Amino acid sequence: MLVLIGVVVGALTTAVAYFLPWLPEQASEQREGIDLVFWITTGICVAIFALVSAVLIYSVWKFRAKPDDDTDGPPIHGNTALEVAWTAVPTVLVVIIGVVSAIVLARNDRGGPDALRIQVTAQQFAWNFKYPNGVTSATLNLPLGRDVVLQLRALDVLHSFFVPQFGQKQDAVPGELTKLAITPTKVGEYPIECTELCGLGHAVMRSQAVVMPVARYESWIRREGRRLRGPPGEAGAAVFRNQGCGGCHIFDPADSQGQVGPSLNELEKQARRAGKPLVAFTRESIVQPEVYLEPDYPNVMPKTYAQLPDDQLDALVQYLVDGAQDENG
Amino acid sequence: MADGMTQTEHHHEAHAAPAPPPRGWRRLTAPGFLRAGWMSLLFLGLGLALVLGIRALAGWDPLWYWPPVLTAAFLTMAPLGFLAGIGAFDYWTHYALGRPTRPEDHSGHGARSWHDYFRVNTDHKVIGVQYLVTTVFFFIAGGLLAMFVRAELAQPGTQFVDPETYNGLFTVHAALMIFLFIIPAFAGLANYVVPLMLGAPDMAFPRLNALSFWLLPIAGVMILSSFLFHPPSAGWTGYATLSTVGPDGNIFFQMGVQWAGASSIMTGLNFLVTIITMRAPGMTFWRMPLLVWANFTTSLLVVVATPFIAASQFFALFDRVLGTDFFNPQEGGYVLGYQHIFWFYSHPAVYIMMLPGFGIVSEIVSVMSRKPIFGYRLMALSLMAILFLGFSVWAHHMFVSGMAPWLRVPMMITTLLIAVPTGIKVFSWLATIWEGKLNLSTPMLWALGFLSMFVIGGLSGIYLGAVPIDIHTSDTYFVVAHIHYVLFGGSLFTIFAGIYYWFPKMTGRMYNERLGKLHFWLTFVGFNATFFPMHLIGVQGMPRRVADYAPEFANWNFFISVASFGLGASTIVFLYNMIHSWAHGPVAEGNPWRGLTLEWQVSSPPPVFNFDHIPQVVGGPYEYGVPGARHAVFEEERVEELERVT
Repeated sequence: MLVLIGVVVGALTTAVAYFLPWLPEQASEQREGIDLVFWITTGICVAIFALVSAVLIYSVWKFRAKPDDDTDGPPIHGNTALEVAWTAVPTVLVVIIGVVSAIVLARNDRGGPDALRIQVTAQQFAWNFKYPNGVTSATLNLPLGRDVVLQLRALDVLHSFFVPQFGQKQDAVPGELTKLAITPTKVGEYPIECTELCGLGHAVMRSQAVVMPVARYESWIRREGRRLRGPPGEAGAAVFRNQGCGGCHIFDPADSQGQVGPSLNELEKQARRAGKPLVAFTRESIVQPEVYLEPDYPNVMPKTYAQLPDDQLDALVQYLVDGAQDENG
Repeated sequence: MADGMTQTEHHHEAHAAPAPPPRGWRRLTAPGFLRAGWMSLLFLGLGLALVLGIRALAGWDPLWYWPPVLTAAFLTMAPLGFLAGIGAFDYWTHYALGRPTRPEDHSGHGARSWHDYFRVNTDHKVIGVQYLVTTVFFFIAGGLLAMFVRAELAQPGTQFVDPETYNGLFTVHAALMIFLFIIPAFAGLANYVVPLMLGAPDMAFPRLNALSFWLLPIAGVMILSSFLFHPPSAGWTGYATLSTVGPDGNIFFQMGVQWAGASSIMTGLNFLVTIITMRAPGMTFWRMPLLVWANFTTSLLVVVATPFIAASQFFALFDRVLGTDFFNPQEGGYVLGYQHIFWFYSHPAVYIMMLPGFGIVSEIVSVMSRKPIFGYRLMALSLMAILFLGFSVWAHHMFVSGMAPWLRVPMMITTLLIAVPTGIKVFSWLATIWEGKLNLSTPMLWALGFLSMFVIGGLSGIYLGAVPIDIHTSDTYFVVAHIHYVLFGGSLFTIFAGIYYWFPKMTGRMYNERLGKLHFWLTFVGFNATFFPMHLIGVQGMPRRVADYAPEFANWNFFISVASFGLGASTIVFLYNMIHSWAHGPVAEGNPWRGLTLEWQVSSPPPVFNFDHIPQVVGGPYEYGVPGARHAVFEEERVEELERVT
């Protein structure tokens, strides 16, 4: 009977483990190791849970005292063999989990000798990514199958970079440089989440990781690099697009439709309202968006754009100012 | 029993004549809430004068600057005024001023009416009840905050509260549940039971004991009242630099923890001295009930570890108020240093919140199974093993923090090894039930419920202990599920078990068994429906501490919220049962569970000084089924025995 209860509980638990969609889609090499440890641990845990539940359920069913039974149970004080067994067996099991974990950890930490290094800047409440040739973007573009090492910095408080499909997570710490290795194995778009409480906008500090075939990545990164070195208009348009400005702002030259922030077509009017010259106003609104707030718009623009390299910032300002003047000229 | 009691009682009664109630203007100077009121205001004024005076003299602008004003005047001076007013310092003040004091003064001892529960009382039984009622109040408050959190999370997007309030809700929820409920509720139960179990008339330091209690309402009101200002919003972990540069409301948390921590340390010290020096004759360490063992190890943890959280909060506070740079990276501060110091307390704190529960469960499982506890010595030794290992695992909270990478594997190994002593305890409880004569009363249901839920919490702890899985699940809802299985399914279930088990001893009345069982089943089902799905959405990648989340998690969150409201409602059954039974329940006998430990050998509730004659301990505490075995004999029995023999 005891065995039967154990088998039933074990089967139910296994069903819960097997049929519910636990781990998200696997999209990195590191996840393979993580999943391995996860399922080994699950196997051990299902067995232990089934054992404990079986003994508990059986005891409650079998050893319940009759209402008029005031006698005591047998005075068993212990059993050395049993006690040695339940000290030794769990020790062996956790050592197995520990060894497998340590091996997986060592593999997952390794970024590879010629890994692509991308600098990640975290700031309330946005991510920014900088590639080796100087291109920056607000979403993370990754080449399929290439070892990538993210180098994370935080500018204000703790943040944490996490993509469930990659399984890898790392805090970004003010004053420290931290690293995270990822080798994407599947083309697709995956959510980037901030998983360390970082203030009021923590829940919306999200972005996207886009894994693309190597050829597409190479052509994207070269094209954007070329545009940055091109004429100011083209460079500014590239920065505008890569930083995702259009997600929040209307700007006709870029055909963008975002409604979260004020329309950038109206920059001249806004500069007048703020009482500042157009170029200075535009630059200030990018690096210190909290200084002047357009009426009815909340102070939600991330301050990350202050970290743009100077040439990219100049190009962006130029692009916005030119575009706004064209709109009204 | 009843006959022998008179002599000691009279002896003490001579000192215990309650002072006549003060009249006229003397009511203002007598210890009590009236004096506490005006002295709080007076001390608040002094604090304000100090801060504003210094700022005015130094010409600092602005004059009214919240951080120092809050810290010094509102959160330090005013509470000190309250303590002085309520009378917590009276004895020591008289002593320091050279006024006559009576070391054997028992006028503040025992409760003759309900009024006596609302003054500084030195009776460990009164203090135990004060602790429990106060902590249940903060449990309700913390639970209501959780209901607001779940209401907000029922749908993606923001519906009811703005992000600042939301962050305040979960921060204050956790702070209250941990520092004002679980830790002090255990301290309250132990306060009541430990001296009785030891055969002692009281705690070693009754006045310190009273002071420890009165620090608690201060800490609780402080943390709760932060909603009137800005609530602390950096989570109960209060990580720098969010807690040092974020809104000033974090000061409420940083100072509240100091008051609750001071209370903890004093109580821990008191337990240690009591357990070491006040055991009845014959009560060797190997004859102590496991609840006493559990509180002995817990108190060691408290005394060693709690100063670390005090330090971490002071550092964070100083960074804001005094302009120090402990955690300011621009000036060479070390942000991760906060986490190391914080977790050096807060991991042992997990065991501070578990070990007393282990003790409670050991008592109940043995008595309700009518069998000796299986492997008594190994049970006590495994507590000590958890104590030592518990200090070597703190960095498992920091696997993704960016700390020294080499630290991860050693900390993983010590973490996983804790499963071994914990496993010993679980298997020993199971072996204790095996072939017993189970009485499935309400306390036993909670104890067995604890056993099953704590196994799930322990197993999810193995996932989090394994570094690669932790990297995936850290800071997701998997962690939320894990801590609730450990602290709710673990600690809270044992607190309920303990409250039901000792309710007849404390109140002299019996609770309603049917309502107790209803409470258990509602909580058991509601708890699992609320927290089990959190494992799933956590592994799928939902981050914790978010007011808003991706739409894919919407269905499960709605389900969890509905279940959590049911779970919250189950508390009403508990409250009704407690209040109604305390007032109108059937009178309880001295030993309704037929227990062998000493607290069951005296009347319910026990006499003011517990024992008329200190008992002589002659055997182990769990000798159920051993013919003729005794844990202790009492004076009159010894006299009878002596007469029979001669």
